[in-house]
Amino acid sequence: MNTLFTPALALLQDSMLDNMRQGVTHPDLSKFLIIAALLFAVGVAGVLTRRNIIVIFMSIELILNAANLNFIAFSRYLQETGGVNAVAGQVFTVFIIVVAAAEAAIGLGLVIALYRNRETIFVDKIDLLKW
Amino acid sequence: MILSGWESVFFWVFALAALVAGLLTVMARNAVHSALFLISALVSVAALFVLLGAEFIAGVQILVYVGGVMVLFLFVIMLVNVGAEEREQEELFNRPAQVTAAVCFAALLVFGLFYAINQSAPRFGANAEERAPGAAADARLRRAATGVSRISVDTQRVGGSLYRYGALPFEIASVLLLVAIVGSVLLARTSKQELAADDVDPRVVSELSAAGELTPAEIEAAAARRAHAEDVWAQSKS
Repeated sequence: MNTLFTPALALLQDSMLDNMRQGVTHPDLSKFLIIAALLFAVGVAGVLTRRNIIVIFMSIELILNAANLNFIAFSRYLQETGGVNAVAGQVFTVFIIVVAAAEAAIGLGLVIALYRNRETIFVDKIDLLKW
Repeated sequence: MILSGWESVFFWVFALAALVAGLLTVMARNAVHSALFLISALVSVAALFVLLGAEFIAGVQILVYVGGVMVLFLFVIMLVNVGAEEREQEELFNRPAQVTAAVCFAALLVFGLFYAINQSAPRFGANAEERAPGAAADARLRRAATGVSRISVDTQRVGGSLYRYGALPFEIASVLLLVAIVGSVLLARTSKQELAADDVDPRVVSELSAAGELTPAEIEAAAARRAHAEDVWAQSKS
């Protein structure tokens, strides 16, 4: 049994573990992308599961930040590989932050108007348009 | 783009901090705690921006998100009553079936993204050997006035390209912000303020006074205020 697994284990240690150690001590673009993907998924889970509309808005901010992280990581990557307009990602991020601020202002205004009329901030109680 | 040394340590610290704070944002029972965890997640992401050499964006992130948007969130949390959720009278999450479906979807999303990233990861590091390591790239930058640090020209290039390639979107963004200001002011007005601005249908006024939300004295006071404002406006024109 042991002899059967030894070559496989050796291969694992040689390639995969080395790769992982390299990835941990020298994070590259893909690590940033993975962190952004995880942040995005956490935000999506928050939007889909929570009832409190304010927390849903906060989860949307989390999603937008994950997208920003992707933009900045690719911008840095393009800078080092000699991209033509490498700072375009950073410019785009500025616009995303502007839109997020406008969205938060309007959304929270809606929350206040809703609370004044319906006395609730739970999305499953706001079902006037539900068929 | 390969980080090494202390940069990689800081990368893992801030990445884990952002993920944990994001999870706690979604899980926290108290909405104020949620907001505070979101602030720490945003600050950690700003630190990752600094690691990526985008100091300007990190500053904007701290100023706009943490300084502006999150303060707005905290004010709104104070204005509406979220006590029921806190006192465990209300469910935190949706019905179990919906929660299960949502978590399955999020897990599927993570697996799909991981698969896509791993598929294309070898191409990201294609010519890693040819690229200059971080220290050499740093040495090419201009020295700061004190001589102990280097100034990156990144912010300058972002500003230049914002006005060179993004001038039209920049103007559109300013119009969007104006619309957001007007919209949020309109949405957050009370019926008394609407009455003072003479912006309510008379039928709605009678309905509101019948419902007891507006007393006749308040309606008269609003009319008097409006008349006074019209007087001032007429005098300023003559």
